[in-house]
Amino acid sequence: MDSLPKPRRSFKKPFAFPKNCTYRPLRQINNMERNLKLPADQPTYFTIKAPPSLLPAKKYSDISGLPAPYVDPHSKLRYSNSDEYASMQHMPSDIINGYLTLRGHTSAVG
Amino acid sequence: MTAKERVLIIDNGSYECRVGWNDISVPELRFRNVLTKPRKDRKKDNQPGIGDGATTMGNETPAEIQVGNDITNIEAVRAHLKSPFERNVITNWNHQEQILDYIFSKMGFEAEPNIGNPIVFTEALANPNVCRQQMNELLFECYGVPSLTYGIDALYSWHHFQHERGKVADALIISFGYSTTHVIPVLDGKLQMQHVRRLNVGGYHIITFLFRLMQMKYPVHLNAITISRMEKLVHEHCHIAIDYKEELLKWAHVDYYDAQIMKIQLPYNPVTATNALLTAEQKQEKRRELAMRLLEMKNRRENEKLQEDEQQLQLLKKLRQLYEQQKEQKFERALEQQQIENLEELDKLISTVSGRITRIKERAVSSPRPNKQVDKMAKPPEGMDQAQWLSELREKREELIRRKQARQQKRQELAKRHTLAAQERMRIISTLARCEKRRKANGDEEDDGFGMNDDDWDVYKRINRHNDDSDSDAESEQLIEYEKILNHYDANIDEGGAASKALTAAENYQLHFGVEAIRVPEVLFQPSMIGSSEAGLAELIAFVLKFFTASEQQRMVEHVYLTGGCAQFRGLKERLAKELLELRPFQSHFAIFESDNHTLGAWLGALVQANESSFNEILTTRQDYEEHGCEYFKEHNASNIYYPTPKD
Repeated sequence: MDSLPKPRRSFKKPFAFPKNCTYRPLRQINNMERNLKLPADQPTYFTIKAPPSLLPAKKYSDISGLPAPYVDPHSKLRYSNSDEYASMQHMPSDIINGYLTLRGHTSAVG
Repeated sequence: MTAKERVLIIDNGSYECRVGWNDISVPELRFRNVLTKPRKDRKKDNQPGIGDGATTMGNETPAEIQVGNDITNIEAVRAHLKSPFERNVITNWNHQEQILDYIFSKMGFEAEPNIGNPIVFTEALANPNVCRQQMNELLFECYGVPSLTYGIDALYSWHHFQHERGKVADALIISFGYSTTHVIPVLDGKLQMQHVRRLNVGGYHIITFLFRLMQMKYPVHLNAITISRMEKLVHEHCHIAIDYKEELLKWAHVDYYDAQIMKIQLPYNPVTATNALLTAEQKQEKRRELAMRLLEMKNRRENEKLQEDEQQLQLLKKLRQLYEQQKEQKFERALEQQQIENLEELDKLISTVSGRITRIKERAVSSPRPNKQVDKMAKPPEGMDQAQWLSELREKREELIRRKQARQQKRQELAKRHTLAAQERMRIISTLARCEKRRKANGDEEDDGFGMNDDDWDVYKRINRHNDDSDSDAESEQLIEYEKILNHYDANIDEGGAASKALTAAENYQLHFGVEAIRVPEVLFQPSMIGSSEAGLAELIAFVLKFFTASEQQRMVEHVYLTGGCAQFRGLKERLAKELLELRPFQSHFAIFESDNHTLGAWLGALVQANESSFNEILTTRQDYEEHGCEYFKEHNASNIYYPTPKD
């Protein structure tokens, strides 16, 4: 990849980052900052993130988005009425899994 | 440095980048902050013929990188889109360099030796030092920028608002970005950095949420549901519910649903669609035609074979005659020519060939199969009402269809891992294997009684992946029979006549967009809907306000300021007013202001700053960069706060 000559642009000077610097994922930057032992009260990108919610998450039907009082114990999908339950019975498993992962509910058995 | 120098303003957002000069009041260049590198084989396809030969060998160009507006069809390269951003922070510097190249060449630096103008650059709130360091290196070392300054987009936007409406000391800025949402308290004109909070939910999450929802609601139209289309839906038709629960409950009523539902027609081409709409009968007809054609082919081949055989038989018979006529020498030579050893072999050959001929002829005679029995429309059995009989038939037909679907679904599930059916299959296989092992360990055969019962053999049927349905042929024939009868007696069996069929086909290509209009943007207030554990916007505002004393809180909520692309949702202001009313003390006052230009606010604010007389004082110059190290920048009223990285 580096062997490819970059298109010449007159306004650029020959310059290259050290190889390991061109891409660092945020997670890595986070670890780096943590190792720096910054003063505790100094805000950083990672300390200003929103706190976890203290309110109980409201339950909505995975299919229609309506308030869902029921959970199907078999597929773990939430549903709000019998019509939705009926439609769930014919649902292929990848769609069920899609709904579950969208809500962040992932089962222990990947 | 002269005061007249033009300043280049770059609002480098994670969704869109806006670039312009400080003497023109609108950004000249706006583009999606993405790039793509077309695959090599794709390029070859585009220019057939030229690709080979010596011409291209000489000036081999690296794969052409397309940036921003150069991408003609963003949907075609969706999978290969690259962004320098991770959330709102730049992490991929290769990509950022490409994008800067694009910006500078579009802004007319093509023939210049370096970038000779000061630059205003926006960056993320609390941008990590490492990232700024790399941006500095890139701009100073690679592009030779004389001086620059960094600012926060939300603060620039606030700056612009104050420029228009007069100075305000305290505010609570809520900035709705593409990947993040910030709640930013400002007291006495100063950013309260340690109390800023960032919610990692933004426009991107809203769009992908809708995208996934629609894909799962309409698995048939998986490919027609594209990010671009969903973006358009989000931009134009989504709004924030003032009372989410109340609006949801309205949707639960059929009347409301029917009245409010928005139907979105996907591209629909009747020609390609008809294939899927063939009835079982038509499919059967097609299959029959195919079978006929195969049969014809087979007959032709057999005929050819027959002729060949007959010729050979004649030849052999002539040889035999030679022998009978006692022409020994001629006979011997002829035998040699035909590679036949002796008389007995000749006789054997004659008998086999003639046998073959008779067999083929026999088959040809019997082959015209008895034509199908004359179709006679079934009649309702004696003593039964026709309507009742028909409805019974219809039920039977539905039952058959349902069974067929169930079987098909089971087959699909078996093919996938992690499904209940597949797991059951593995369980059976492993128990069967274990039985076998036990027998071997014992040495002698220990009969477990398998096979005593006929049902035992069903085990193999259950573990067979292709779940053999030998009975389904019979079933489909019966299905056709039912359909024929129903068609005969009852014209509007399925969806009515052929005329309405085309219409319903187009309707099959419609997306129903109802609850989604409020459900999708609601993730800003309830991130738990997309599995995030973060506090929602209202909770977050309350959380941030609690850092301050009651009087400070009051000063801030007098100016709640909304900016950023996602602030354009209808109903957002009203919703926030409702939430603030709930969390503020009884009968206290607050006011919400909206940016005049949600998407361009930041750029315009930077423009205001670039035209201030004190602008030169806040520029970080090349000299500063060389003197203070590569992460240094000068603070100003719209910038981050500089915390030098501790040296150990």
